[in-house]
Amino acid sequence: MFSRGVLFVIVTLYTAFAAGPFLWVATMSVRTTTEISLDHYAWPEIWHWEKFPAAWFKSNYQVYFENSLLVVVSAVIVLTVIGSMAAHCFARYKFRANRLLYFIIFSAIIFPPQITIISMFQILVQYGLYNSLVGLSLVYIAVQLPLTVYILESFFARIPADLFDAARIDGYSEWQIFWKVSLPIALPAISTTIILNTILLWNEFLYAVVLITDESKRTLPLGIQRFMGDQLEDVGMIATGLMIAIIPVVLIYAFFSEKLIQGMTAGAVK
Amino acid sequence: MAIVCLDRLCKKYPGGDALAVDSVSLEIAHGEFMVLLGPSGCGKSTTLRMVAGLEAISSGELSIDGKRVNDIPAKDRDIAMVFQSYALYPHMSVFDNLAFGLRRRNFSSSEIERRVRDVSATLGLAEFLKRKPHALSGGQRQRVALGRAIVRDPKVFLFDEPLSNLDAALRVGMRGELIKLHHRLDATMIYVTHDQVEAMTMGDRICIMNGGKVVQIGAPLDVYREPADTFVAAFLGSPPTNLLPARFAAGALRIGDSTLALQRDCPQDVIFGIRPEDIRIEGGAPQLHGEVLAVEPLGAETIVRFRLPGVQSDVLARGPRTVRAKVGERVPLAFDMASAHLFDPATARRIAQERK
Repeated sequence: MFSRGVLFVIVTLYTAFAAGPFLWVATMSVRTTTEISLDHYAWPEIWHWEKFPAAWFKSNYQVYFENSLLVVVSAVIVLTVIGSMAAHCFARYKFRANRLLYFIIFSAIIFPPQITIISMFQILVQYGLYNSLVGLSLVYIAVQLPLTVYILESFFARIPADLFDAARIDGYSEWQIFWKVSLPIALPAISTTIILNTILLWNEFLYAVVLITDESKRTLPLGIQRFMGDQLEDVGMIATGLMIAIIPVVLIYAFFSEKLIQGMTAGAVK
Repeated sequence: MAIVCLDRLCKKYPGGDALAVDSVSLEIAHGEFMVLLGPSGCGKSTTLRMVAGLEAISSGELSIDGKRVNDIPAKDRDIAMVFQSYALYPHMSVFDNLAFGLRRRNFSSSEIERRVRDVSATLGLAEFLKRKPHALSGGQRQRVALGRAIVRDPKVFLFDEPLSNLDAALRVGMRGELIKLHHRLDATMIYVTHDQVEAMTMGDRICIMNGGKVVQIGAPLDVYREPADTFVAAFLGSPPTNLLPARFAAGALRIGDSTLALQRDCPQDVIFGIRPEDIRIEGGAPQLHGEVLAVEPLGAETIVRFRLPGVQSDVLARGPRTVRAKVGERVPLAFDMASAHLFDPATARRIAQERK
């Protein structure tokens, strides 16, 4: 067992390890690129807050942010609804090929995105969804669905079957039971998937860079990438863009975190 | 009025070879408290779930008040069920748990309020209405589960081992309350349990099941006194009936090396069954002797385990608390032959008594 002192040192070191890079980017976000190239690690002498409105309005971050918001929010909503319904069915109903279908969906997790991206590209071109936010959103849903179903299924499976039987006798239809019994009970697990999907998709780069070409349709990660040129890198603007990108992630984490802990410590149904 | 009639009900699970429930026929009168009793896996819960409509009926006919309900969904059968796990909705308050079924049935909110208040007052839950189930004790949860059934005022109550998650003291208390409740509501109740004490104390009639089949149906004491076969004899009663292989010859039963006079005719090979309370250790006219292996004083009574010469299995006797027998002693035993039973070793059925 560690004494309190040793534990304190370890926790402090870990916090520095985790928060250090964040702090570094945060300081750079209020320094100009010229200042940064003089000394990478210096504390800001003049706090250039004006970089944020500049990034938002002049460097097009507003558009990227809205695009990201649109794609990610719609994808997460659809993922949550479809994922929880699918998980409920897999966990609750006995039907032929239940496990087979579950395995097929789940096995998609093992393919790295690089394998599927070319076929994904071709399919989207065929359906006229290439270079569109709807197309990107659909791809995000498809990519994240297996993990979502996987996490939720294991949670739904732990809800005692007696509860559903009780609700059936109480007169509720299967559809109503899903909304009134399953879903509220599974809320901790659903929060977990919401956070997970939001963070992963908010930062997603590979699919976006392949499937989006228009400047006006770029999502945030692509917008930030725009400042990385071959010869020139606007490091200051990248840092400012990163800070803007991080804010929603921090917000959603703070909002759902209590639920997140509940979901991870599980055993909520007893 | 609610008469529940099971006519040759069968349940076969896909992929299973044997029938989980094998041709169960049973008629439960209005206001009757019927107990389905049996060891785990005997099909009693499956039978109950078929009555509830939670399990499809493979064959046979189920009717409530003369109306065939095989294909009527659970919600339209006007039944309520109390589960072993209580099955309370964890995300709802006690009030909402009680009101959940009523809301679906479109009762006015004032009527729901009135019913929930009534039931919670009866069950002593009035002060917990705002709590969530996880903030209740086991006994309180059990009451909520019970209240959820009562509040609906259904035709038939179904209980699936509702007391087995409670500790012993609470179980005795709830048992008494269920009996009172049954008298007050005058409702038809079907109660599944593996606990023979619950079955004996609560049931108007007991239906004993084994291996998916009904073995015996009858009033608790009738079933206790006249078990249909060795299974019932061994299952009902604690300690169970002593079952000893015996041989009949010349007006006497030979059990091991001992001989018991028998006042009736019977086949040559039989199984002799006698309840522990029908063996007297001290007093009475001793017919044979046994060696004491263990003495188990229970306070109100004493269980004595002994061996008869030439008999493999131990024999148990229930004596008063004043029993003075010591381990290793040879004690005289008096068997109450009028209460003893003979069973056919081939069929395990009881051989009907035909006095000479």
